[in-house]
Amino acid sequence: MNMSFEFLRVFSYWDVLLNGLGITLLFTIGAAIVGTLLGFVISLMRVAPSRFIKWPARLYVEFFRGTPMLIQLFWIFFCLPLILGQDIPPYVSVMLSMVLFMAAITSETFRGSLKSISGEQHDACVALGLNFRVKAINVIFPQALLRSIPPLMSNVVSLFKESALISSVGIADLMFVSSNISSSTGRPVEFLTAAAVIYFVVAFPATRLVDLIEKRFLIRFA
Amino acid sequence: MNTEENINEQKAENAIKHQGFLGSKPLVEFKGVTKRFGDTCVMDEMDLQMREDDRLVIIGPSGSGKSTLLRVLMGLEPIDKGEIHFDSKPYVSVDSKGRTQTDLATRSKVGMVFQHYTLFPHLSVLGNMTLSPVKVHGMGRSEAEDRAREYLGRLGMEDKLNSYPGKLSGGQKQRVAIARALMLEPKLMLFDEVTSALDPEMVAEIEKVMLDLAKQKMAMMIVTHDMYFAKKIATESVFIAGGKVVEKCDPEIMFNEPKEERTKDFLNKVLHLK
Repeated sequence: MNMSFEFLRVFSYWDVLLNGLGITLLFTIGAAIVGTLLGFVISLMRVAPSRFIKWPARLYVEFFRGTPMLIQLFWIFFCLPLILGQDIPPYVSVMLSMVLFMAAITSETFRGSLKSISGEQHDACVALGLNFRVKAINVIFPQALLRSIPPLMSNVVSLFKESALISSVGIADLMFVSSNISSSTGRPVEFLTAAAVIYFVVAFPATRLVDLIEKRFLIRFA
Repeated sequence: MNTEENINEQKAENAIKHQGFLGSKPLVEFKGVTKRFGDTCVMDEMDLQMREDDRLVIIGPSGSGKSTLLRVLMGLEPIDKGEIHFDSKPYVSVDSKGRTQTDLATRSKVGMVFQHYTLFPHLSVLGNMTLSPVKVHGMGRSEAEDRAREYLGRLGMEDKLNSYPGKLSGGQKQRVAIARALMLEPKLMLFDEVTSALDPEMVAEIEKVMLDLAKQKMAMMIVTHDMYFAKKIATESVFIAGGKVVEKCDPEIMFNEPKEERTKDFLNKVLHLK
């Protein structure tokens, strides 16, 4: 078997790969923003006093954390339109499944950091006569949000990598275009390696940034 | 030292007043207060009075409920039975369903400083001090900032106004915590082992702040393990064990010739006498 690789060929497809990366980033960032906001709301529902608010939120989170993302994606892509009896544009159902996944893991992040605010901080609020609104808005939420920045960014990095799954329903993301090119050119080694390198080049600095923020910034404020 | 003289003078004055109960109204009255944590009874139908110009030091073995007493008075812990009056008005009570009712207007007259400072780490010193006055008590921001500046100035910390708690030493944090509590002009300050987490060289600076407050006739309730400081600052002392007041008297008597055996035992242990 002739093992000659032509990695330089990758560069003639740079615009297609870059487009793919663009789609990947678009879905990741979109789902990260909407999912984070939704996740924050879910985390508040999970600490609510009423069980009618708490339990649906819990069920949702446990379901999305406890099932493979690929099944969630397929289910929303293939099953939801059948159940609703209505077509859903592919981009919408893919975005929806990514948002729901992100919101589920992010709500756990927020819940963890809300819980991590010590009882002493709550005591101080009482001793200073802070009412619930001031305590939540000015004391607890800011600290919880600051603390959740590093895990939140890790969540986004995970989402970025997991998003390769959306290629399986035909979204032309980085994974999709590189596997397409690799089969049409018959050069999987070059193009799949190139895709891996591109994912890494984006994800690696992001994880470094998380560490940096944790060490330099959060130690001072939270 | 001027402060010390002043304090001794005040103590003498108080002693005279208390003998004849002249001009000193009760500020805090615990009436049969019971507090349980599960099966453990940390306050057992406790009765305790504190007068308006007292600086009451609470001593006792660990687990005797000293901190709980302060936390109950701050409204941080519900009680199981009994009631507390503040300034001769009902403050904490238990309703027919066993729920603790706390009068919030009265609670705002009580300030508390904790062992671990409990500053808000995401706010600057100024932010820590002005949060409650501005957001809850409707004070104008500039007025609150002026007052914060004044209090910090008195504690020698005006240059730390915009620092974050993470950048301060333990002693500085505790001074800010005291100043933050004073911002609300409480009638009574509670100090819960406020020097226990500090390095020895910082203990003195906090004790000095408290002695200065004493000079300004601030009513205080102090839980401490430092018996020398307790003797120095107190106008009245109480020994608590097993959820009950064992002995309550003038600190001179308490630390020199306590009447109760349990008080003697305890003081001998902590003061390393024989």
